[in-house]
Amino acid sequence: MAELVHEDRALARRILAGDEEAFSELFERFFPRLYRFALARMPGDPEAARDIVQQTFCRAIERLDSYRGEAALYTWFCQICRHAVADHHRRGDRGTGKLVLLEDLPDARAVLESMAAPASDEPEHGVQREQVHRVVAAVLDALPGRYGEALEWKYVDGLSVREIAGRLSLGEKAAESLLTRARESFRTAIAGML
Amino acid sequence: MKTETDIVESLIRSAGRRVDPPEDARQRVFVAAHAAFREKAARRRERLRGLWAGAAAVLVVAVAVVARWSPSASPQAELGRLARVLGEAEVAEGGQWRPAADAREPLVAGIRVRTLGGGRLALALAGGESVRLAPETEVMLDGPGRLYLQHGTIYVDSGAAPSSARVEVVTPAGTARDVGTQFELRVAGAALRLRVREGLVALDRGGESLTGRAGEEVSFDSLGGVARAAIAADDAQWRWVEGVAPMPDMDGKPAATLIAWVARETGRRLHYESPLVESRALEVILHGDIRHLAPMEALEAFLATTDLMAEVRGDTLVVMSRSSEPPGP
Repeated sequence: MAELVHEDRALARRILAGDEEAFSELFERFFPRLYRFALARMPGDPEAARDIVQQTFCRAIERLDSYRGEAALYTWFCQICRHAVADHHRRGDRGTGKLVLLEDLPDARAVLESMAAPASDEPEHGVQREQVHRVVAAVLDALPGRYGEALEWKYVDGLSVREIAGRLSLGEKAAESLLTRARESFRTAIAGML
Repeated sequence: MKTETDIVESLIRSAGRRVDPPEDARQRVFVAAHAAFREKAARRRERLRGLWAGAAAVLVVAVAVVARWSPSASPQAELGRLARVLGEAEVAEGGQWRPAADAREPLVAGIRVRTLGGGRLALALAGGESVRLAPETEVMLDGPGRLYLQHGTIYVDSGAAPSSARVEVVTPAGTARDVGTQFELRVAGAALRLRVREGLVALDRGGESLTGRAGEEVSFDSLGGVARAAIAADDAQWRWVEGVAPMPDMDGKPAATLIAWVARETGRRLHYESPLVESRALEVILHGDIRHLAPMEALEAFLATTDLMAEVRGDTLVVMSRSSEPPGP
């Protein structure tokens, strides 16, 4: 984590210095994740989510010299995004009502554990499953570095360790090690939500 | 009993691939974020330059050296100026919007300009190009001849600029580069419309390139569909551009200069009734200030004091001598 924050601070410094590559790197890394983050809080309103993400980027870049590296840069962006969402709801731009996220539910652990159980056709189960999918996506988005992608390649796309190593420009051992750390981070992040 | 690894695997597998954001959202946010980044970096450079200048000044005093060198504290390069403002318009530097003053305000990189309500404005770029903003439009000046069109409609006229000057307009839905021309570009989300009044415009959109020619309107819908239509250079759709045209200083210039400018602004061909009338237009010198009149009104007001007159016949502006005016009914 300390290494990640160190990298994030270096990235922030490069952006402040006007480094175009650093900006592109930040944008490509954060945009899809922030979009999903915002959309989860503005369900059914992709335009509002896009506007929120746009505000988030503009506000974050404007205040980037105040980023001290106390947290990962993505976490810092998410915090700004949360405020932008709150502002949006406060203004009543669009009435979306109160949104309850899975991580706010008292029985979140039971819902997550139910994913290991055989699928059910009950509508309630379907809603829970959808929420779990969103949480899993949110956790993958919040993982440091390229852990989220590596886990997706491994378990969703079924790539071999060798193929993942190729995509990450790593040796096979290093890729295996990265996957182990990614799994551990994922498990810890999920547990931290409960 | 599932192991920790099995649970991780089953959760991720069950959730499937994360949803990718739509490309139009990505492009739109990128343009805005990139503009914010450029603006931030530019302001920071300025601040650092100021700090260095201050430090250098202190050092110079401390060592009591009369240096011939002076630190660079020149302002950022001027990319253009506000040329005309009609109605409500604002300028932002450092994220704070303020009313745009019609006072030839200099514009530097990172400055954003927008029109609100029915407001329109004209920019005169440093390269000699003229840019007009229709109502509800926002642009950012990024560099010499380079603009970001965030949303709305702009018109570019690079005809009066040196041939080396080129304007590039970047939008969330594609990039237009003029090849010596007059054109209008409108962007709304991922939809883009290009109208070419004169010359050629090269358009890049999602890795594909195409050329818009004079008299063409090319529309792209948000799904990538392309439609072409015709639009005449004097079509009424161009009228908004004339209304906000910044009049060059005509005081002391020959009438021919004004006549040529009006013909260009109104998209009309120019025809002198005879070589004699043309030479007369070069002899008559204009005096006075008509900068707040629309092109045709200005022409009428100026020529009223001369023995020349002009009238529109179809797509042509015809200039003649008053003595040759046909008798009234």
